Amino acid sequence: MSLAAILIAILSFVLGALLALLTIPVLVWLERRVASLIQDRLGPNRTNVFGFRFGGVVQSFADVVKLLLKEEYYPSHIKTGKWLFMLAPVITFAVALLAFMAIPFADTLHIDGEALRVQALPIDYGVLWYLAIGAIGVLGVIFGGWLSHNKYALLGSARAGSMVISYELPLGLSILAFIITYNTVDFNAMVQWQSGTFFAFLPAWGILVQPIASIILIVSLFAETNRNPFTVAEGESEIVAGFMTEHTAMKFAMYFMGEYIAMNTASAVIITVIFGGYQIPWVSTEMMLQNFSVFAMVLMISVPVIVGLLIKWMRKNNTVRPTVSTDSGRNFETKVLTIALLSMTALIEVILLYLAFFADSSLANSITVMLFQIVVFVVKLMMFNIFFILIRWTVPRFRYDQVQHLGWYYLLPLSLLNLFITALVVVGIT
Amino acid sequence: MLEISIFSILALFMIGGSIAMISNRQTVFSAFGFLVAMIGLAGIFALLNSQFLAVAQIMVSVGAVVVLSMLTILTVNANGKNMPHEPNKNKWIIFTSILVAPFTILLYKALATLPDHFSTMETINSKVIGKELFSEWVLPFEILSILLLSAMVSAIVIARKSKNKERGRS
Repeated sequence: MSLAAILIAILSFVLGALLALLTIPVLVWLERRVASLIQDRLGPNRTNVFGFRFGGVVQSFADVVKLLLKEEYYPSHIKTGKWLFMLAPVITFAVALLAFMAIPFADTLHIDGEALRVQALPIDYGVLWYLAIGAIGVLGVIFGGWLSHNKYALLGSARAGSMVISYELPLGLSILAFIITYNTVDFNAMVQWQSGTFFAFLPAWGILVQPIASIILIVSLFAETNRNPFTVAEGESEIVAGFMTEHTAMKFAMYFMGEYIAMNTASAVIITVIFGGYQIPWVSTEMMLQNFSVFAMVLMISVPVIVGLLIKWMRKNNTVRPTVSTDSGRNFETKVLTIALLSMTALIEVILLYLAFFADSSLANSITVMLFQIVVFVVKLMMFNIFFILIRWTVPRFRYDQVQHLGWYYLLPLSLLNLFITALVVVGIT
Repeated sequence: MLEISIFSILALFMIGGSIAMISNRQTVFSAFGFLVAMIGLAGIFALLNSQFLAVAQIMVSVGAVVVLSMLTILTVNANGKNMPHEPNKNKWIIFTSILVAPFTILLYKALATLPDHFSTMETINSKVIGKELFSEWVLPFEILSILLLSAMVSAIVIARKSKNKERGRS
């Protein structure tokens, strides 16, 4: 193990933990803002720290403080197993966090002949890891629901358990179709497979190569993560809050955060398996490394354009209505953020200029490509999270029997058929 | 030294989980004990450098068996109160453990010679296991699948409503 290997291992672990944990406040905020967008209102946008609102993200941090300071309340009818009642949300949270760790954030780095995975857990069986660890999460829900000694909680956890069992099968079978197609159980190798082209001009993304399996994967991941239109386990109109009816304060927050991490993990799995992961279409890592100066120049042109558009959008929107007399420091915030963004862009330009024309270090080039891929990954991840949120606020909830019917009568036979056809085609080709 | 300490921690977890599983009156704690024991077993597989087995262990035992048994507990509402009364349960557990001790020693002696009869491999991943399973072990594999199929068919037969009853209702 060289110094570079240790550094990359630590950095990718930190990156994985940060991506999983820091996206929770952002996702909670996004959920509320996107819901507001759809319902034609503004959503939380007032909370600020010294006038900095960042569009309202600060609200989520205030919420966390509120949940931490809330009274820890235990229902008095819980006589035995209080420890497991408390532990159950932690199981869900920790398992969701662990499942995220197998996702690659960038292509394997080659330093001095050493292959370093940019993955929080450097394992080459990531798909199996996700399937195995992801299945434990529901146990937290079931234990918590059972130990609440509450009819609503019992019904909620029974629904969650039966839904996970019925959707684990189509999920596993659709992922099996991808494993046969890509001939690997490694997430990173899956992404590398998708860097080629398909029918000469389409990017070889899973959604184009395996459309049926992709749709089954997306639907069953929606069900697995307990998101709308499959929120039968906590349907407010039927069973109050489902399995977390009796959980208060931080215990509730654990379930809540676990749900968002699970959603984040599901989007990460979706983009890794069927949307080319950290790669942009048609451009593979080798191509970027070989034509590094071209790549750097394209970046040098596109970064100022993107940042300029962002600043323009921010200047237009970060204002108060004309009828309001004070601007509550919004002009100041806009000014500071503009300066920060501009200086960041200048810094990136200088570094890229130096790397493209003056330095000739393959290590620096591959690190730049890695950082670019991480940025692409995060952008794609956020886009898919917004897709999850949009679906939640667009589609009404299914009735419980409809959910089961969809799983057993449509998705399972369809995924079996798809698996059969995939196997035939793969055997026919090879 | 590190390996031995990790092994002993995992073994303690497994033993504790198993004892909790058989001695608890509340079914949900039995299920939790089983969960702990199975995760400990997966940990021991991982310690032996066969990650695929560890992951498969979690996938099958935890993801399927524990979830299904918990679901059964939820469905039939298997509270401690509803369980049959078992007097002197702990005495019986101790007595039977002493009774099966010689058999356990025999099993241990038999299992300790097992590694001599199998070829060892450097890396054990899913590809190696798949190839081995479908070349050398294909007959036992198929026999096992027939067993599973018959279990499934019998489950469906038991769960199906009989035709006479259905007619009577309609």
